[in-house]
Order: sequence, then C-alpha cells, then structure tokens
Amino acid sequence: MKRWLWVTFVIALCAACLMGATAINPLNMTAVEHDILLNLRLPRVLFGAVIGAMLGLSGSVYQLTLKNPLADSFTTGAASSAALGAILAISFGAPAPLVPCCALVTGLLGLTLVYRLSLTNGFINPVTMILAGIVMNIVASAVISFSKYFFEESISSIVFWLMGGFFIVSWGRLLVCALVFLVIYLSFRQRALHLNLLALDECSAQTMGVNVPRLRSFAFVAATLLVAIAVSYTGIIGFVGLIVPHIARSLFGSDMRHNLLYSSLLGALLLVIADAVARVIIPGGAELPVGIITALLGGIFFLYLLQTRRERFWHG
Amino acid sequence: MAELQAEKLIFGRRNFSLQIDSLRIVAGEKVAVMGENGCGKSTLLQLLCGLLSPAAGVVRYNGNNLDELLMARRAKLFSLLPQLSEVIFPFSVYEVVLFGRFPHCSGNSFSSQDDEKTRLLLARLDLLDFSQRPFNQLSGGEQRRVMLARVLNQQAEIIYLDEPNASLDIRHTLDIFALLSTRPETVIAPVHDINLAYRFFERFLFLKQGRLLADVARKDVTPELLKETYGVQVTTGTAVFQFHH
Repeated sequence: MKRWLWVTFVIALCAACLMGATAINPLNMTAVEHDILLNLRLPRVLFGAVIGAMLGLSGSVYQLTLKNPLADSFTTGAASSAALGAILAISFGAPAPLVPCCALVTGLLGLTLVYRLSLTNGFINPVTMILAGIVMNIVASAVISFSKYFFEESISSIVFWLMGGFFIVSWGRLLVCALVFLVIYLSFRQRALHLNLLALDECSAQTMGVNVPRLRSFAFVAATLLVAIAVSYTGIIGFVGLIVPHIARSLFGSDMRHNLLYSSLLGALLLVIADAVARVIIPGGAELPVGIITALLGGIFFLYLLQTRRERFWHG
Repeated sequence: MAELQAEKLIFGRRNFSLQIDSLRIVAGEKVAVMGENGCGKSTLLQLLCGLLSPAAGVVRYNGNNLDELLMARRAKLFSLLPQLSEVIFPFSVYEVVLFGRFPHCSGNSFSSQDDEKTRLLLARLDLLDFSQRPFNQLSGGEQRRVMLARVLNQQAEIIYLDEPNASLDIRHTLDIFALLSTRPETVIAPVHDINLAYRFFERFLFLKQGRLLADVARKDVTPELLKETYGVQVTTGTAVFQFHH
C-alpha cells in the first residue's frame, strides 16, 4: 500500500509536468517545449507538491491539537487571517521577506482567538470552534476586500488571495518552501509520540509526562508558520489540510508517526493533481485558480464528515 | 517508593474554596477520598497532580517540591485516571493502553517489553477480546477499563483514580478493587460507594465543603462521621445483597 502510494505520486508528478496548455511528448520535444518543461512546468509542479505537503501537514497537526476532525488551515481561520497580514504588509509597502512574517503573526492571532473562544473548562467545543473559524474567515475576507479597493495599485488580483493558485513560481520560492517544510516536518516527526498523547484529554496527557501547553503552543506556531508561508506565496488554498489527514488515517491508522508523513504525501499528491486539472479544464489555455477546485472537493468532503459525525459532534 | 506531602494548601474559585492544612501519605497506602458532590475531591486530586496551581501551600513528593519536578519525572511518580477522559480519532484499545508506557520509552518508539506489559495488562483486565477495536466504539464501562489499564501500565508509584468504578458493572468493580488492593503502589481514589470503599481501602479522608473533616483508618469510620459528611441518617446492619468476588 505504502509503495503504491509513492509510485502513484511519482507518476502524478511526471504526468502533471507533461499536461498543460501545450501537451508535451517527452519522446519528441522541440527546443521550446524543452524550455517550457524545465523552466515552467517542473518548478510549478514541484511547487504545487511542496505547498500541498505543507497544507496536509498543517491540517494533520491542527486536527490533533484542536481535537477537531473538521479543522484545517481554512476552517480555523488561520489561512485567512494570515492572508490578511500578508495583504496589510504589502499594502503598507513592507519588503518582500517581511510579508510571510506578518502573515505568521496575524495567522497566530486569528488561530489563538478562535482557540480561546472555543475553550470551555479545558475542553474544546468543536462546534464553537468551526463557527468562530468561519466568522474569522468572513471578517478577514471583508478586510482583504476593503484593502483591495483602498490600495488598488499595490495588491494583485483579489482572486489570487481568496481563491489561491500558483501564479508566480520561482526556484527561489520553491527552495524556501521546501526548506521550511523539511525543518518543520522533521521537528514534528521527532515529537510524533508526544503528539499522539494530545489525542487524549489534557489531564491524562499531562500526567503521562507531556508538557501539554508547551507542546500545543509549539504545534500551533509551527503549523501556522507552514500556513503563513504557503498563503503568502499562493493565497488561500482551502481544504487540502482537511481532506488528506482523514484519508491517511483510514489507510495507515491514527498514529502520528505515520500520519505526519502520509498527510504530507497525500497533500502533495492532491494538489499536484488539482493543479494539473486547473491547467487543462478550461479550453484555450486559460487557467483556473487551483483553490476553486480544492474548495469544491473539500466543501463536499466537509459536508460528508458533518453528516457521518453529526451525532458525536453535537452530543460529544 | 514515593511519599506524598501537602502543606497548607489553599485553592479558591468563585463560590468554592479548598483548604488542606497538612496531609502525608506514605508509600503503599490505599486511601479513599469521601465526600458529597462538589466537596473538592477532584480538585484535591488535580492540585496533587499539579494540574491546578494552589494559591498558597506546597505539594512535595519524596521531599521534592512538585513545581520543580519535570513532567517526565512526574509521570514516573504518579498517574491519574480523570473522571472524564477522551480519545479523538480511531486509536485502537491496544494503542491507548500502550500509550501508558510513554514515560518509560526513549526516542520515538516503544520497546518489545512495553508490548509485553501491555498484553499482560489487557489480559488481566479482561480486555484482550477487543484490543484491536477502536477505543471510541466501546461502551462507557469498557472505555473506563481501558483507561484504567492505561493508568496501571504507566507503573507510577502513586495512582490517582477519580471514581475508578464509575460506570463499571459489579463483577469488574470487584475484580479491579481486588487487583488494586494487592498492588504495591499507593492508591488515592475518590469513591462514592461507601460499603465498597470500606471493604477495600485502609485509610479514609472525609471532605466537606473544601475542608478535611477527618483523616481516619478503617476501624475509625463510624456512622456519626458518615452522617456528618453526607448529611444523611446512617445505620449499620446486613445489606440486602452482598457481593463477593
């Protein structure tokens, strides 16, 4: 099973490199096609894979630390509040490297607010959490739209932020994302066993030897850093982090020692495929923002989860 | 083996305050904490575990201040079965009980010895049949036994059990109390069933409205004391049903 997943991933990567406005036949390439493949398609596909892995990993960690199967960067409001920070930074003319930092700060503020609102007597109310996250989304989107009208010049298309996609890809950005992902993945991997215990209630986890507040804070900051960087470069791509941890869990069990890796891998796979679809679905070479496709898939999946877990959700 | 000491503990919260002047529990004692709902039994346990911070006073284990002990050290000193426990995601019963070995494992994996201990405990607590089932699909009483196995698997020197027999049937209650009374660890447990506590525990702390009313051995538990603690009339006599293991 694990091997098949990796094989599928490699095939998807290769196929996605060849698909697009001009289909490329790898056995018979012109010089221009060669150029497109190496300088446009390859970085773009790899970028999609890394962003997908970042979103999948953050979703896996959010669902665990917030004890909510419906949590991901989008439903917790972390993504939109990070986008808000990025947009404000751009509006006020902050230098490019500062943009993800501002996104991290506002992303963390948004997430902390949602977390505080949903906490009662040490237990997280999942319904309140989702409601607070959705309201956070609406408020952030409103401020984003306001900035767009107010600072018309400095902000690229509003669709870019609210329905993210891979519009600007460079090897430099790809490298930054890959490095950040790797460092954060390894630091989570090192704490995978500790993270498992967060699946238990706080009193149990704490008396089993985990410093729960410290580990949770670390998880919040690290996962939101992934989201902040992803959002600063691609806008809000929702629901990737919601879907893939569930698939990883049903395939390989709930143990975080596996879930971290396979949520990342499946996130990469999902986004590579979704991006390939986004590039070819409109005839004539126009591109769809990939966020539209993930939102469509994720929204349906969200409703499915809501239906199957409703009983436990309202009464648990 | 661990010795527990609490001095001049004070804890306050809106309409409730808990005050324990002095409490000393030596290794191996089996202590039942008695008192009506809301008298501070769970709060006392949480203070002793460091889950709540007292406004004043200290808790010491073997003479060491609890505040200065690392989480990893604490987990070897004491384990806790909270009144309510939850597990999100479909972790199996086996995995949940194995998690109890966490304080003893180094790095990111459990040893074969941990697996062995887990299997023995599952067998002892009559849980082998559903060791591969997801925890969340079990009934309330079954979940309680799994959590109890998780707590025992931690092999801490002091075991805090907040109403260990809540939602357990009489057979499993007797079995578990009998098991606890033979274990070398200290057991400190709020229990609501007075006859059951009287049978299996040696020492009794009576709490009333956040104060320690009495701290007595089994032979000194009297109807008068129970009457004062619970505010009910108490007579002794032969119970209608008596249960034996």
